[in-house]
Amino acid sequence: MAQIFKRFVGTVAVRGVDLELAGGDIHALVGENGAGKSTLMRVLAGGYADYSGDIFIDGALVRVGTPRRARELGIAMVHQELSLVPELTVAENMFLGREAPSRIPGLIDRRIVENRAGAVLEEIEADVSPRQRVGSLSLAKQQLVEIAKGISMNSRVLILDEPTSSLTKREIDELFRVVRTTKEKGVAVVYISHKLPEIFALSDRVTVMRDGQKLSSRPVADWSEGDLVREMVGKSLTEFFPRGQRSSEQTPVLEVRSLSQVPHFAAVSFSVHRGEVVGIYGLVGSGRTRLAKAVFGLSGADSGEIRVNGEVRTIGAPADGIEAGIAFVPEDRRVLGLVPVLDVGKNLTLARLKALSGRAFIDGSREHQLIRKNVRDLNIRTASIRTQVSALSGGNQQKVVLGKWLSTEPSLLILDEPTRGIDVGAKAEIRQKIDALAAHGMAILLISSELPEIMGMSDRILVMRNGRIVAEFARADFTEEAIGTAAIAGRH
Amino acid sequence: MAKSDLESRTAWMGARDGGAEVRQSNLTEALRDYGIYVVLALLVIGFSIVAPGFASVTNFILILLQVSVMGILSIGMLFVILSRGIDLSVGSILAIAGIFSGLIARQDLTVANAALAFGLPILIGLFCGLFNGSLIAWFRLPPLIVTLGTMYAFRGFIVWYHVNPIYQLQSWYRVLGQEKIGPVPIPVIILLAVTALASLVLNRTRFGRYVYAIGGNEDAARASGINVKLVKLGVYAISGFYCGLAGLVFTSRLGAAQSISGMGFELVAIASVVVGGASLFGGRGSVGSTLVGALIMQVVQSGLVMLDVPSPIQQTTLGFIIIVAVGVDMYVQNRRSGGTLAGSIRDFLFGQ
Repeated sequence: MAQIFKRFVGTVAVRGVDLELAGGDIHALVGENGAGKSTLMRVLAGGYADYSGDIFIDGALVRVGTPRRARELGIAMVHQELSLVPELTVAENMFLGREAPSRIPGLIDRRIVENRAGAVLEEIEADVSPRQRVGSLSLAKQQLVEIAKGISMNSRVLILDEPTSSLTKREIDELFRVVRTTKEKGVAVVYISHKLPEIFALSDRVTVMRDGQKLSSRPVADWSEGDLVREMVGKSLTEFFPRGQRSSEQTPVLEVRSLSQVPHFAAVSFSVHRGEVVGIYGLVGSGRTRLAKAVFGLSGADSGEIRVNGEVRTIGAPADGIEAGIAFVPEDRRVLGLVPVLDVGKNLTLARLKALSGRAFIDGSREHQLIRKNVRDLNIRTASIRTQVSALSGGNQQKVVLGKWLSTEPSLLILDEPTRGIDVGAKAEIRQKIDALAAHGMAILLISSELPEIMGMSDRILVMRNGRIVAEFARADFTEEAIGTAAIAGRH
Repeated sequence: MAKSDLESRTAWMGARDGGAEVRQSNLTEALRDYGIYVVLALLVIGFSIVAPGFASVTNFILILLQVSVMGILSIGMLFVILSRGIDLSVGSILAIAGIFSGLIARQDLTVANAALAFGLPILIGLFCGLFNGSLIAWFRLPPLIVTLGTMYAFRGFIVWYHVNPIYQLQSWYRVLGQEKIGPVPIPVIILLAVTALASLVLNRTRFGRYVYAIGGNEDAARASGINVKLVKLGVYAISGFYCGLAGLVFTSRLGAAQSISGMGFELVAIASVVVGGASLFGGRGSVGSTLVGALIMQVVQSGLVMLDVPSPIQQTTLGFIIIVAVGVDMYVQNRRSGGTLAGSIRDFLFGQ
């Protein structure tokens, strides 16, 4: 692959990556969330028609615009979300679209397909019967079926995207065995992961990506764990973190005591003070988003206590969270943040309508004032407040979500990945706004996968791993290596 | 230095974003909001030219009278569709309301009878709507299944309860459906009143805003502190209320009540809402456009009758009008979000 670029609206996910894959090699592709690993591999697997750059297979230039073309070229990808049909059998799934015709025209011969599927499964030593219904298999077995499907198409390249994120230790071992068998058949395996132990156990070569670029690519023997962490999380030079005067008041706004939600997080205690930005760092799946949702009321906690401004609060629904003075800017603005078909103005006031209306009727002029204030304060660039919010750029949509929550005049603002997937300009503006809010005394809980961002913005950082807070750092003790290691170390 | 560079870059991006959006907004947005009115106007002008007698005040008032029952049902349906639901039971609710209203309307005029004959159908409608709504909101059953079920259940009940038609309803009862105030028939006045009421609720109240929000993105609505279940219950209750009212107007206009009334009305009501530009995926649609959607259907039918087009061909024409109206609307929507004609045709053919 040479000079691969992939742009999305408002952001460039992959910028100018060169990558070489050799048959019979397991090539690990590592980097933080949003580094561009998955996007790069989706380009190779035909997920995007509009990439730029060249892809060569055996020295011949090819154009991979569709998954079908990728299959023809021998490229198979096992996605994080599996793409099998649960109601069909293993064999039917493996040969979907390639059924063997029966002697009677128009019918298909199930036995031929089952035999062929059985042979492939045996070849990679996967303990799965071709006649089992896919829906009855564990996630781990389904993954093996996907791999077998890739191999049954005589694939030359097999891409595995974070295959172990929801597997048990034993399942991982079986997966590794299958991957190694595959490699021995001369297939080039790409293994996307951010779990260091697995990378060192499995791969031949490691390539690190960050901010859509390839940083370095070396044989696994030339890497030490420390090198790899530093390389993955290192600060990008283009970033700018504003930092105004923050008062170090000791009035706690949020106090969480031994909050648990089985199986996502357990015995979590922390507090956030007035005018303080507390960062929560951790890998995807470490429980950070779950924790934030439980504090706000999007999912109930099983046990524990939440105090807001000194008062114990029972928070079972978002309405309770809002009532308590908590606001939550979710990580995916299209899922929980915005109503895409409504206009900018209506999105901005959605969480504040109770205060803007009497018994039933909305006070139009007060609503209009609030909308205007938000558009001005957050510098939301929109043709008019009546423009459908989905027509805005990602950065401006994110500003609308932020404005919507600031309209509720919260005392605690929870931000989950507030700058993900937006352009550099909007990122800087949102960071400036967060800093200004903290300077005015708002308590802020910031979740981010971007280590430079969380280090640049926070006064304190809590590190979560496997549903627990495993480390806390004061600003003076922030180092990329220490925080990164705390989040990753020993995870399996 | 670094900061000023950043500022100039963001300023430039802003100028570009803003420019593109302004250009897009004026004509297309107007077309989206009022395109359906233009279609109605063109149809009226067209029929006025080709069908003698179409363009007269009497005929226009007749069309309004003919659309009144379906208009009331459609506006109730709009609430449901805006919330990303559907209500197939409207015709059956109309029949139940009509029969119970008719049973009382046979009797002599007393204050109690009048209150019951006019009030009971509306209460029954409301009750049926609450029944649908509670199954959908609290038991989380799909609206299509629940209202398909109650469509049969309500119909079965009323045919069992009173299979024979009720004729000779008293004249005091028939006033509502058959008399005029000035030149305007009372059903038309009722239609206009409920239209205004619905418009007020949807545009000016918190509840109305919540209906749009839930239809547009239920998860985001819940995360904004909205009591989604209560709003859904309210939406089906409103639809039921409008069905009851429609049953009253229908029975009074006809001067008779039948347990088989309103069969198939649910599909006409859905068609009116959709022709009026509302999205079956929720969150988009307006009361005015829905009324226009219902009028378009009625105008086409009346016009074709005047042209002596056979009834089956009228149906065929109406069918194609639904497809074309929705297709044009999807095209305009797609253009707004920067798509191409080919893209809209693909969406139209294969769904979004």
